[in-house]
Amino acid sequence: MPPAGIPPSRALPLKESGLFKEVLHYYEDRQLKKGLKTADAILKKFPKHGETLCMKGLILTHMGRREEGLELVKQGVRFDLTSHICWHVFGLIQKGQKNYEEALKSYTQALRFDKDNMNILRDAAHLQTQLRLYDALVETRHTLLRLRPQLRQNWIALSVAYHLRGDLAESKKVLEQFENIVKNVPDYDVEMSEILLYHIRVLEELSEYTEALALLDTHAKSRMIIDRVAIMEYRARILSKLQSPEAQQAWQGLIEQNPDCYDYYKGFLSSRAIDLDAVTDDIRPGALQILQDFVQQFPRAAAPQRLALSVSTGEQFKELVEPYLRTRLQKGVPSLFTDLKALYRSPEKRDAIESVVHALLDTLAHAPDAPCPSSIDPTVYIWTLYFLAQHHSHLGRHAKALELLDTAIAHTPTLPELYMFRGRVLKRLGDPYGAARWVDQARLLDLQDRFLNARCGKYRLRAGLIDEAVEVFGLFTKKDAVSPAQDLEDMQSLLYLIEEADAQLRNGNHAMALKKYLAIQKVFDDFEDDQFDFHGYSVRKFTINIYLNLLKWEDNLRSHPAYVHAAIAASRILVKLHDDPSMASAASDSHLSGAEKKAKKKAKKAEKKVQEEAKKAPSSTNEDKGLEATAPKDEDPDGTKLLQAPEPLERAAKLLKPLQTLAKSNIEAWVAVYDVAIRRKKYLQAVQALHHAHALQADSPELHVRLVDFKRRCAPNPALRVNMFSDTIGPGSSLSEKPDESVATVVSAFLPKLLPDEMSLEAYNSQFLQKHSTRGDAVLAAAKVSQALGAPREEVEAAVFNVLNADVELDIETAVAVDAFLSEIRSPREEEFRSAAGERFALSTVFVPHAKLPELRKSALHVPNVAEEKEEVIS
Amino acid sequence: MVNIRVARADDLQAMQACNLQNLPENYTMRYYLFYLLSCPQVSYVAEEDGKVVGYILVRMEDDVREGEEPRGHVVSISVLRSYRRLGLAKRLMVQSQEAMARVYRASCVMLHVRKSNRAALGLYRDTLKFNVHDTEKGYYADGEDAYVMRRSLRGVL
Repeated sequence: MPPAGIPPSRALPLKESGLFKEVLHYYEDRQLKKGLKTADAILKKFPKHGETLCMKGLILTHMGRREEGLELVKQGVRFDLTSHICWHVFGLIQKGQKNYEEALKSYTQALRFDKDNMNILRDAAHLQTQLRLYDALVETRHTLLRLRPQLRQNWIALSVAYHLRGDLAESKKVLEQFENIVKNVPDYDVEMSEILLYHIRVLEELSEYTEALALLDTHAKSRMIIDRVAIMEYRARILSKLQSPEAQQAWQGLIEQNPDCYDYYKGFLSSRAIDLDAVTDDIRPGALQILQDFVQQFPRAAAPQRLALSVSTGEQFKELVEPYLRTRLQKGVPSLFTDLKALYRSPEKRDAIESVVHALLDTLAHAPDAPCPSSIDPTVYIWTLYFLAQHHSHLGRHAKALELLDTAIAHTPTLPELYMFRGRVLKRLGDPYGAARWVDQARLLDLQDRFLNARCGKYRLRAGLIDEAVEVFGLFTKKDAVSPAQDLEDMQSLLYLIEEADAQLRNGNHAMALKKYLAIQKVFDDFEDDQFDFHGYSVRKFTINIYLNLLKWEDNLRSHPAYVHAAIAASRILVKLHDDPSMASAASDSHLSGAEKKAKKKAKKAEKKVQEEAKKAPSSTNEDKGLEATAPKDEDPDGTKLLQAPEPLERAAKLLKPLQTLAKSNIEAWVAVYDVAIRRKKYLQAVQALHHAHALQADSPELHVRLVDFKRRCAPNPALRVNMFSDTIGPGSSLSEKPDESVATVVSAFLPKLLPDEMSLEAYNSQFLQKHSTRGDAVLAAAKVSQALGAPREEVEAAVFNVLNADVELDIETAVAVDAFLSEIRSPREEEFRSAAGERFALSTVFVPHAKLPELRKSALHVPNVAEEKEEVIS
Repeated sequence: MVNIRVARADDLQAMQACNLQNLPENYTMRYYLFYLLSCPQVSYVAEEDGKVVGYILVRMEDDVREGEEPRGHVVSISVLRSYRRLGLAKRLMVQSQEAMARVYRASCVMLHVRKSNRAALGLYRDTLKFNVHDTEKGYYADGEDAYVMRRSLRGVL
């Protein structure tokens, strides 16, 4: 007879029941082989024993036989649906697969059959935190505290759970109860110190400043809070919020501790009723006096000197900026210009700086090529030229900048900064090939410096030289990595991934571009997963303040520019793919350039090498591979499979989803959301996206294109509507099927707010053009719209060529976009435009005839002899 | 204007990016998170307009035996080339060392450096006043030896 409450199918005879305990024991000790053997012994007699099947599956998973393991676990659960062991194992496996939602469901099942199991409860709490299910988290933490009130961490965990739910009052109550019962706190207890600081933070967030201050002072005095600087920071902040006269003294103490911290000066000044971000004329003299006093007190600190430059005006500014510039030029501070750039918002300060530095240069100038006279410090001379080059380039005077740099390089040909900046100026002038060449020269001057190396790689990518970029990156990546690119991806280098993706896109390789953009998405997914371990760890270590900071960072993770850029760019590729599915099949070898084919071959070779090495590795069956799947080998080295994967629009929608809350003020994001929503026939979402874009910038050219697109797709007038289901927006698509009635209602309610109902789209377009006829991007947008409305190609071409008119503002970026548009509509006038644009941007190379590009690319790699000699000197 | 302050969780991505531009020893985010969340008081950043231009990432050594005093360990320190000559490495180190001594009562701080990295060696020895304490054979993944460098924290507070 099995013991009461145990279903007969689970009960085992004494011998097997002993064996099962052994299985559990072996698993805990990670003696996987023995565990497997013992489980098999049970299953031989009882092949349908659910718990044993699950344990065997778990062990196999740890041994790397993941699919087989998962299958057994699923079987085991089916055989014994009321066993907490089966559900717990299933939950563990799902957690290992990062499938947190399903894992939590399994844990919830497990708790139904063993409600006070501490391990399961703790794991469930971590899953609830990961999934931000804070109500459920409070419940779980409550149960854990009830079961083990003697554990410090259970109290703190409950308080944190309340805090996360936004229930600060409860959070405070739990901390008070905890502090009342806690006994025998040893001296110098870092954990207790952190808990008390957390308590004070809770009070501060509750705006109970007096209470917070009292608690802080008590525990500072009793030395229960250890970190003296933390005490000072909390004190200064709280006193400021209380508007106490003591605040000033507290900030002063912090400045003495770290005179390079901007926040402390800001705090000090605010205690004197001065807002550093909004200094008015009547408080200016007082503010300046305070800063000058700090300069006297901390002559080595840069912060008060620099702040004085922000605060001062007129003659006083000139008096202060002269020594500031001079000392730093003498020292050769490369970041001096970046440091001062923010002051350029004031034309008066900008001009003052220019005249001071030019005056300084005049005292240093000497005959070019002649040796520097002994009265002149050559370092000051070089750094002054360098500063002025940055100054003039920043103001758009690139020719002047180049002239200054050439003088400097002729004088001192060994300073990499000069070459790097020369490259940057060329980049700004639209010459990515020359830019890459100059930055490469900078790199060759100091081959040990990874910073110069990374710049060189980036500039090669900007010039479309992908293989050559990866080659140069490879000088610093790990030698045992599959490839330099793989190492950079593994090390989560967003800078590299973004630049390579963009380069692939510019080179027309959509498959590889998509692959790299999605690699960025994967990096962010990993960042999100990374927090999981800390839901337990931080509570055990009591580092609560930084942990809450971590959760907040995670919640806003995808507002990072790299994610936003990658999501938008990838969604554009996916939308293109939806509009023209032939793109996916065209991404075969025949369309690849020579370099791309070479890259593909290389990738295949690398792949083979990895597989061979994997075979060589000794296969110990007892080796614990953990529950998390290791990175699968790259089955899609050239991205073709990604391009051919189904449902491009659904994938795009998923990528863009986080942007709707985290990149609300980015108009490109809303345009991308619209492009996907309208094709998924999510009309309401499409209209909302247009509204957001409209609120951000009503006259945006990209928005203009979408407004017309929307009306054409949804207008009540069937003559204007394109086929909603063919999803082509080109002219001449068949006109049929109206959108759904309810959709029509929504649309007709919203549309008039965005564009006038009674006007024809052609008229609306010309109105837009007229209004913005001097803006290059608007001229292009209007041409795109008239192309979509079916205007003859010649007319569209003529319209777009207007960007070259003297009265139209045109930057290189827009000119490149115009060229891309002409290429897209297969205009015979593309080369004509390129040649005209090449004349307009005289120092650019992006508009040279296509035939000349290979030669240009080669030139980007050809480094003149000067630097090659240098290389020899260094090595 | 470069600002020096204690590192926060939302600095880690920028610290990682800074590290990748400067040094050949790189780490995934998990490592950064682990170090910062174990000892959040001892890592610092130098930032300008929200961009991290230098950082020091520090952990406390956990293999300290009974009776021994705690030791700090510099996992990584670097400053972007374009922000040199502002004394940032030194300023970061000073703040971090004080925090190690203040919060954890650390008696000394250690770091590893590649034997071949003469530039870094110079920085640690001449500017930051570390001494070569020991050599660790094959410390780096590629088999290179490391110098173990050490600096006493007596008197920093």
